Formats: sequence, structure tokens, C-alpha cells
Amino acid sequence: MDLLEPTRQAFILLVAGDPDLLEIIGLSVWTSLAAIALITPPCVGLAFVLARKRFPGRRAMIVSMQALLSFPTVVIGLAIYLLLSRRGPFGDWQLLFTPSAIVIGYMVIAFPVMVVFTLSAVQGADPRVYETARTLGASRLGAAVTTLWEVRFGVVAALVNGFGRAISEVGCAIMVGGNIAGLTRNMPTAIALETSKGDFAQGIALGMVLIFIALLINVVLAWAQGEGGLK
Amino acid sequence: MSAVLEVRGLRKCFGSRIILDLGEINLARGERCIVAGANGSGKTTLLRILAGLEPAEVGEFRFNGEAVSTTPYPDRLRRAIVYVHQHPYLFHTSLRHNLGYGLKCRHVPARERARRVEEALEWSGLAASAATPPSKLSGGEKQRAALARAWALEPEILLLDEPTANLDQEARQRTIDLIARLGSGNTGMLIACHDQELIKLPGMRVLHLAAGRINATQAS
Repeated sequence: MDLLEPTRQAFILLVAGDPDLLEIIGLSVWTSLAAIALITPPCVGLAFVLARKRFPGRRAMIVSMQALLSFPTVVIGLAIYLLLSRRGPFGDWQLLFTPSAIVIGYMVIAFPVMVVFTLSAVQGADPRVYETARTLGASRLGAAVTTLWEVRFGVVAALVNGFGRAISEVGCAIMVGGNIAGLTRNMPTAIALETSKGDFAQGIALGMVLIFIALLINVVLAWAQGEGGLK
Repeated sequence: MSAVLEVRGLRKCFGSRIILDLGEINLARGERCIVAGANGSGKTTLLRILAGLEPAEVGEFRFNGEAVSTTPYPDRLRRAIVYVHQHPYLFHTSLRHNLGYGLKCRHVPARERARRVEEALEWSGLAASAATPPSKLSGGEKQRAALARAWALEPEILLLDEPTANLDQEARQRTIDLIARLGSGNTGMLIACHDQELIKLPGMRVLHLAAGRINATQAS
């Protein structure tokens, strides 16, 4: 298979700012960002509580979160599909095959990723951080915020991983979004579709954008860690 | 002198093992008191309980003459009693932010906070290191920064855990000098340590702790 010609066409599409391509990229980015923004507070809060508090069911919750990391996203998509379908409990909301359904799917998929990464970061924090903050007069919430700030690069890594998991996800997005052109077609679903049609140019172009986004996120993360001088 | 802290019936166990069993412990306003004892005698545990960092059975806890419930440990006690770890933790921000952290928790206005932070830097001899990231400070400088951070809060009670441990001679001497100056005000101090030079500071009362009990009290 000649890959040079589709790659050349992919560059042309990107440089020319193909409207269809930009729409697909825009949908992918905003649905992923919206999902991460919506789940960040509960994820960080839950991870902090799991890291610091001892209560019945804590271990079961941690194990569940870890198990969900490897849960097939297409099964998550199926579950959300059944919930949002016309005959499902939330059918009246008419969210199926809309960008909102994709956001919900991304939230469910990224949630355990962000909890597990943030949990790991908080568990790795020096126990004196929280104690020092408390003994200097900080409230529980203030001491928690201070602790999270001390492990901010771990928390940012959790956000980045959650975002990466969401933006590159395909199974759930196809199930609940339906891959409708101009409405719910995002980068991974478009790549799958165009490749199945034998139109590699758009697939390669979108693949390059995905790789560029992944690289960009990691460069920003590395830069932030260097500037912070944490270690 | 009026007692700022009166604790009776303090007991701490880990399983069946009794870590601390103290009948009575008092601290007068501005009093300086050393808690001496071998490793494992319960010195650090005592300080951590008084700071609200460890739960314990407490028969009676009176602060400035008023009975206080310590479960949960009240925030007003946290603002009056400051604990400094043996190896103090400085937040990965700036030295000035560290020194102003407790003041910010007390809602001290920014301008007043900045003034007190500068005073604390001068007091501790760290003004020249103000721009140094806390992680780059030496052990002695970190200890002095932690003392300055506590000093800026003007606590009623300061709990110091082995403040001169693991310091070289010069850093140790500078830390002792700061502690001597700290004790000149109304701040009562309870210091867990073995350091003979600290024990011999004028006006220091010494509680000898052994196997979780006070077995002797002496004035230096």
C-alpha cells in the first residue's frame, strides 16, 4: 500500500484547514475537555478521601476503580446506550446520539483513570504536609488543598491521562454518539470510518492531530514540572 | 503564673501496649519545659497528642482555665498551639509563602502578613536566603524557617520535637539561640529533646519521661 500519497493529502487537508476536519477535531477536543472539567472536582475529592481516610468499603472502592481501568470501553458504551436509549430509564432526556452522550461516556471512562492517578499522587505525599498545614491553623479543606498543591504534578498527570483516555476513545463514542457527520463524529470514530472506506488521507490527518495533541500535552506537563522545581 | 495548659489522665495505647500514661501535665504562660527521655519513651507522641495530630484518651484538657473537648480537636486550639516536626516540612513554594502560611490561615491582611514575614525573616537570620527555594535550604536553615514560621504566629504554646537533632554544631547553636529568644515572650514551650545545652537554658523545667510515664521533674 502506498502511504506517501495519503500522507501528502493528509498534510494538504491540515494545512488548508479543511472545515470537516476542523469540525471533527473541535468536537473531540471540547467533549473531552468538558468531561474532564466536570469530573475533576469529584475525582480529586474522592481520591483524597480514599487516600487519607479509613472507612468500611474503602478497599473495595479502590479495587473497583483499579478494575474499571481495564474495563472495555465498548461495554461502558453499551451500558450508557441502554440507559439513554428511548426505552431506557433516561430515554426522556433524548441524549443518545448527541455530543452530550459522548461527554457522559468520556466522564465514565476517565473517572477511574483520574481517581487512581490522583489517589497514587496523594498517597505519595509526605504525611507531614497535611499535618504541617493543620498545625499552622489550616482548616481540613485548606490542608487538603495544600496537600493537593504539593502533589500538583501528580494531579495534573491524572488530568492529562484522563484527557488522553477520553480523546482517543472510540468504542463508547461510536455506541452513544452514533458517528453522525457534523454532529457526533469525532477524531477516533472518523479515523475508524474513513479507514474502513479506504480513505486514508483524512484518517492519517486526524491521526497526526491526535499524536500532536498527545505530544503537546506531555510537553506542557514536562515544562510545568521543570518550572515547578518540585524535586 | 497562670496555667495555659492543664491536662489530666492522658493515656495512649497501641493495642494492648501502653505508650503514654500521664497523670497530670501543666504548662504555665510563657513557661519553657523540656520533655526528656530515651527514644521510644513517648515524647513525640505526647507532643503530637497535644497538637491534635494523634487521638488519645484524655481525662481533662483545660486551656487557659477552660475545659476543652479534644475530640474533635478544636480549630481554636490549632491556632493557639503550634507543633514543629523534628524534620520540619516546608511547602514547595517560596520561603516567604511558607512563613506567611499560618498568618494567611488566620486571615491576617496581606500587607500586615508581608510585614510579619519580613520580621520573621530578620528574626531567624534568613533574610539573605529569602529567595532560595525551600528545598534548597540546609537542614539548619529549614529548622530556623520552621521556627520563624511558628514565631510569626505568636502562639500561646509551641511544641518543638527534637529541634536540634541531626544538625551540625553551628546550625545547632543557631537553633538553640532562636529557641532561647522564642522563650522570652508569652509563648509557652514544650520541647522534646535530649540536648543538654537546651536543657540547661535558664528557666527550663525538665520532665523526664520513661516508658510513657513522668518519673521526675526538675528545674534547671
